[in-house]
Amino acid sequence: MTRKKFRDLFEKGIVILDGATGTQLFRRGMPPEACPEKWAADNPEALMDVQRSYVECGSQVLYTFTMGGNALKLREYGLESQARELNRRLAQITAKAASGKAFVAGDISSCGMLLEPYGGISFEQSVESYKEQIRGLLEGGVDLFVIETMMDIQETRAALIAVRELCDLPVMVTMTFEEGMKTLMGTDPVSALVTLQSLGADAVGCNCSSGPAEMVEIIKAMRPYAKVPLIAKPNAGKPRLVNGNTVFEMDADTFCSYVPALIEAGASALGGCCGTAPEYIKKVRETAAKYPALKPEQGKYSLASSGRMTVRMGWDRPLTVIGERLNPTGKKFLREALVNNDMDKVAQLAREQMDAGAELLDVNAGVPGLDERKTLVNMVQAAVDAVPLPLCLDSSSPEALEAALRIYPGRAVINSVSGETVKMESILPLAAKYGAMFILLPIDDGGVPETAEERIEIINKVYNAAVSLGFSKEDILVDGLVMAVATGSRFAAETLKVLEWCGKNGFNTVIGLSNVSFGLPARENINSAFLAMAAAYGLSAAILNPNSRQLMDIKRACDVLKGRDRDAGEYIRLYSSRQNGTGQDDRRSLEKRTAYEAILKGMSGEAADAVMAELEKGLSPKLIIEESLIPAIRKVGTLYEEKKYFLPQLIKGAEAMQKAMEVLAPYLEKGSGTPVRKKGTVVMATVKGDIHDIGKNIVALLLRNYGFEVVDLGKDVPADRIIRAAKDNNADIIGLSALMTTTMTEMPKIARMASDAGIRAKIMVGGAVLDREYAESFGACYAKDAYSAVKLAESLVNDGNKGPSGP
Amino acid sequence: MEDIRILKHIRPSYDKNLILSRLGYKRGVTDLGDDFKQLLDNTVKLAEELCALILAYRTVDIEVKPDGTVRLEDGTVLSGKAMASMLSGADRAVLMASTAGPRVMEEIRKLMEDGRPSEAVILDAAASEITDAGLDFLMNYINTFLRRQGKMLTKHRFSPGYGDFGLEQQVHFARLLDAERLGICLTETCMLIPEKSVFAIAGITEIKSD
Repeated sequence: MTRKKFRDLFEKGIVILDGATGTQLFRRGMPPEACPEKWAADNPEALMDVQRSYVECGSQVLYTFTMGGNALKLREYGLESQARELNRRLAQITAKAASGKAFVAGDISSCGMLLEPYGGISFEQSVESYKEQIRGLLEGGVDLFVIETMMDIQETRAALIAVRELCDLPVMVTMTFEEGMKTLMGTDPVSALVTLQSLGADAVGCNCSSGPAEMVEIIKAMRPYAKVPLIAKPNAGKPRLVNGNTVFEMDADTFCSYVPALIEAGASALGGCCGTAPEYIKKVRETAAKYPALKPEQGKYSLASSGRMTVRMGWDRPLTVIGERLNPTGKKFLREALVNNDMDKVAQLAREQMDAGAELLDVNAGVPGLDERKTLVNMVQAAVDAVPLPLCLDSSSPEALEAALRIYPGRAVINSVSGETVKMESILPLAAKYGAMFILLPIDDGGVPETAEERIEIINKVYNAAVSLGFSKEDILVDGLVMAVATGSRFAAETLKVLEWCGKNGFNTVIGLSNVSFGLPARENINSAFLAMAAAYGLSAAILNPNSRQLMDIKRACDVLKGRDRDAGEYIRLYSSRQNGTGQDDRRSLEKRTAYEAILKGMSGEAADAVMAELEKGLSPKLIIEESLIPAIRKVGTLYEEKKYFLPQLIKGAEAMQKAMEVLAPYLEKGSGTPVRKKGTVVMATVKGDIHDIGKNIVALLLRNYGFEVVDLGKDVPADRIIRAAKDNNADIIGLSALMTTTMTEMPKIARMASDAGIRAKIMVGGAVLDREYAESFGACYAKDAYSAVKLAESLVNDGNKGPSGP
Repeated sequence: MEDIRILKHIRPSYDKNLILSRLGYKRGVTDLGDDFKQLLDNTVKLAEELCALILAYRTVDIEVKPDGTVRLEDGTVLSGKAMASMLSGADRAVLMASTAGPRVMEEIRKLMEDGRPSEAVILDAAASEITDAGLDFLMNYINTFLRRQGKMLTKHRFSPGYGDFGLEQQVHFARLLDAERLGICLTETCMLIPEKSVFAIAGITEIKSD
């Protein structure tokens, strides 16, 4: 079957696939512990029986029963050496069942293990394992391939690359999406589609995992960006427990009732997965027959993807910032990091740029003397692990580019393909093979053309070569070719002319911004001005330093002024809470908070300032404590009890209180105020054997700020040390925490020892596994959370006739 | 017994609201304000960066006894009535481990020492949630492969320390999952170090095709 013939199939109507085969074979006696592929190959009649039923019910494409037929998966059964033979035999069986009435799709799926860096299988190991399976399927006479039930985009890419490196048959690819519309490994439907259709999949979609209702939304999400037909092959609902048995819940009629919605969402190939049977497919075919063929939307979008997100670029979108910082040129610290293979630095730079607003990251590994191929691959892996942003692979080495493109789990942008013969011959085919977008750099063997006209001539030459390899305009970002204005005053104008021409001729554009100011002082001024000018000519993307606040401010302002930030929504979101245009703090932050308000809001710095201001006004420390600080911290506690505040807010309040008290401390010591008596002394410890102490630390912090003297002994504290500390400090309360059942038994022991030692201190306990009943069993009091502990401590010292006399 | 399988660098999806719940947030009642939302977002992001999840699992044959114990194929006996009841009807089970590694605990300690306890508690809650989400990921991952064998995992899992499934039984999980290789140590009181580590067991059940 040619790829053209495959496309033609979809012009005739909705294509009907098959349904579940495994569950049908279980009914025909396949034991659950058997290797399904081996059992089916040894019992061809059972398999043919199922597959013939599907053909009779209207399946136009039959999947071979080889989903687990790659060598890595067959290894689980010790059958890896039979991979090729098993696949050949199973393809022959399915071809016989199809008997020319249906196309035979060689079925490929996951090896059951994750690829590096998540698991132990390397990308190339995976490709090779698939190739062995594909050779067998080809020998068995399959018409096309299907890669299905995939959860990892990287393993899916490995399978697709394996097919493409062995043949030019059509390939359908379906991934499995979980609740939340992402694959288990975090790929969303659009990123899956963009990555796979650009890598050469002839149809893309989803199968398994969810029922038909959930699949409608997945198909809808893919539709606007789909250049290929979309596939939906859902389960018969979700597995459910019925009378002690787990079953798929959906009958054929209910399943089929979703067919119209799936087709309207954009699915043009339908079938069934787990829990479905031939009668489901029959009903799907009958319903689908009422619908005409669907045409893919052919959305002309410039899309780059990673395994986790897709970025759309264009003049009608906010200008895309491509972070330039992962380039060692002129950066000694990065050069050193790359020489030392310090990929934490790469990850850090990637995160910083994302936080600053970059949507793609340019990655360049050009360090003299360093193996560029290896370094670029390492940098790509580090960046992919650190951030979800798509990458721009910046290299002129075809070897380095191919190595990086191979392992990059999305649709990358190649930076760049020029009109130089060698680049067109070596890099353009790489972009085509791996489905990458590319930056078209208008220079050629004659050097760097100075005029826009010469550049446009090169753009047309490279574009025509690209079209012959299957590219469209949206797959290209034309580089306006920025040259240093210090070396020629008309260079900036020539670049703008190129941008203008591109806009008129449907090309998206990019510039490497900082070149423009090379050789000049105060470069950021020149860069900013040129960015604004280029944006006015419809620039789509710029490679720049997103850490430059000035550049990012200008970019966002340009987005508003060019109508690329609808209703200035993003601008308002980002800037409404920042400083106003005059560089002054906005009105809200100009209003000074009182100490009371600062503690209530948990603002430590402001609490300290406010207390100082109140002292300067002549208020006494005692008055500030009694009139501001104590009421504030009490209010915080009340809000926490009412659940209007949650734990971090309660703690922030305590932190602010602490800061305020630190400011007052010297004045209290100087005697300029009445000393504040502590409410009581609490000896705190996490018991022996227990290392979970964050809860105890929070209680200690709160107690201090509610006026207690706290002696914190730390964690894993032996009982005798607690008893000694309680004695030495004349403690009013012993506070104990334990988080585990194995350690909470220390508590009654400590209670007994305290009693034996004649210590009168009350015992207060807390921790995840404790309850009131357990605490009371050895005469202790139980606090369920940090604030309850404060209230409990207060009531315990009050009961002991030590009334409150301070904060 | 099947080999132990180890997965690394996994970023499981999880419900951020569960982090809030751990911190006492109540929807419609608690008012976070913009400053706190920012603090939360930043700290949760930090947790995602610092939690270097390592997940491991291993499938074992089991025999569930009427006395509330479960005998594994190597002779190990796990004891806990609710755990055994969950596994009733299963003749295989999956032992699982998830650990966030030491870096996140170091940061929590550092934040406490630096007088930033509110961030420390958020980081602590986020790390706990992410570690748990590691087990959710594993169960979904394993289910994908079980489904084609007409099987699936029990909806729930059990960890030592739940109910009468005593914490001391962590020892068996540590041995059977080769915890040391995952960077997990056990204290004398059967606690796991790093703190953000968890073991669990789930049963494998059959999906009926009729």
